[in-house]
Amino acid sequence: MRRVRTILAVAITCAGWPATAHAVETVKFSASLTPEHLDRGTTIGFGLGIGATTGLPSPLTSVDVSYPEHLGIALSGIGIRTCQPRALEVFGPLSCPADSRMGFGRATALVPFGPEVVREQASIGVVRGPTREGHLTLLFYAVGEDPVSTQLILPGTLDEARPPYGGEIIVGVPLVPTLPEAPNASLVSLKSTIGPLHLTYFEEVNHRVVPYRPAGILLPQRCPRGGFPFAARLGFEDGSDVAAHTTVPCPRAAIKRRRHP
Amino acid sequence: MHSKRGARTAVFLVAAWVVGVAMLLAGSAGAAGPRAHAAHTLKGTVTGHLHLLKSSGSELIEEGPASGPLSGHIKARLNVGATFSGTFTLYTAHGTISGSGKAVPHGEGIYESFSGTSTINHGSGRYAHVHGHGGLFGTFDRKTYGVVLQTTGTLTY
Repeated sequence: MRRVRTILAVAITCAGWPATAHAVETVKFSASLTPEHLDRGTTIGFGLGIGATTGLPSPLTSVDVSYPEHLGIALSGIGIRTCQPRALEVFGPLSCPADSRMGFGRATALVPFGPEVVREQASIGVVRGPTREGHLTLLFYAVGEDPVSTQLILPGTLDEARPPYGGEIIVGVPLVPTLPEAPNASLVSLKSTIGPLHLTYFEEVNHRVVPYRPAGILLPQRCPRGGFPFAARLGFEDGSDVAAHTTVPCPRAAIKRRRHP
Repeated sequence: MHSKRGARTAVFLVAAWVVGVAMLLAGSAGAAGPRAHAAHTLKGTVTGHLHLLKSSGSELIEEGPASGPLSGHIKARLNVGATFSGTFTLYTAHGTISGSGKAVPHGEGIYESFSGTSTINHGSGRYAHVHGHGGLFGTFDRKTYGVVLQTTGTLTY
């Protein structure tokens, strides 16, 4: 039986100072690589827990997640087809080719309804969108059912990043209005994967369509000293932004090899 | 009259001396210094059909035959991230030509096209003084990692 090792990085909370002095947003950021075998395919997972020192956090407007250098996202074999944003908006995720799917996730938002605050859960699908101005795009499709039926598309692009990061995923988060005069909904948690975990693709072999699992995001042959670094920067409606960092430790085998080459 | 002729003779002698010294200097410089390098210019498109040798994370090492005004064998080290970048060396019968390039992807399927710029910065053999720049184009097979690489532009060597 194949042993799948998931390493959940230690979450680091980092608070930024918003433009207004009364509330400060806080972020817990975690990242994982599943499985974590060097020179093999993996799935990146990241999680964000958003809070505030007082009351509800300001609604989220952007999320930038930077991933480590030398991770072969473009070589992962995922997202080899594209889904058009218009088709996704009108017909939903089932209109997207299976080979455009790149990951899954869940999100929780707090929706103010008068004096009450209701918790809204949403599932997230990640599909590849069309390449725009030389940038690979990702579309995060969120579907909330209860208590409010909501469908949201969060457009994301893959961009370059400075070392020790190899790139960053920049996601715009649209504001979700609630009741008139009431504040917009606040996202308080977001978990998503990018990689082949739970994905099945199809290819034609000898005139037959056969399922297969894509290779995944290739990890380099060597683990960077100190582990694989991830960073997140979140922008909020009140103008503040918060940065958080975390590291996925190197696999034990890589640490042993480094000590006893 | 006599003094006029003497002055003419003196001017002639000085002029002859200057020309002689200049010729001598030119001759000695030619004998002792390096031979003048005649620059050649080559325009055109070189196409390489590369296949994967090995990969590590986002880095691919590929090689394959090259054809065009310069033919031979290309080896390339490519980093396929948010953008494509890499270095390459073309091995020809008369020497090597090395450079680097950067490109952005355009495609939307298994075959991803890319375009950008390349710079030729060093070489060996006949191409020891090579330099140049131009366009970098190609397609990338996201399943097999095979690359068709085209460099266009002007080389001086």
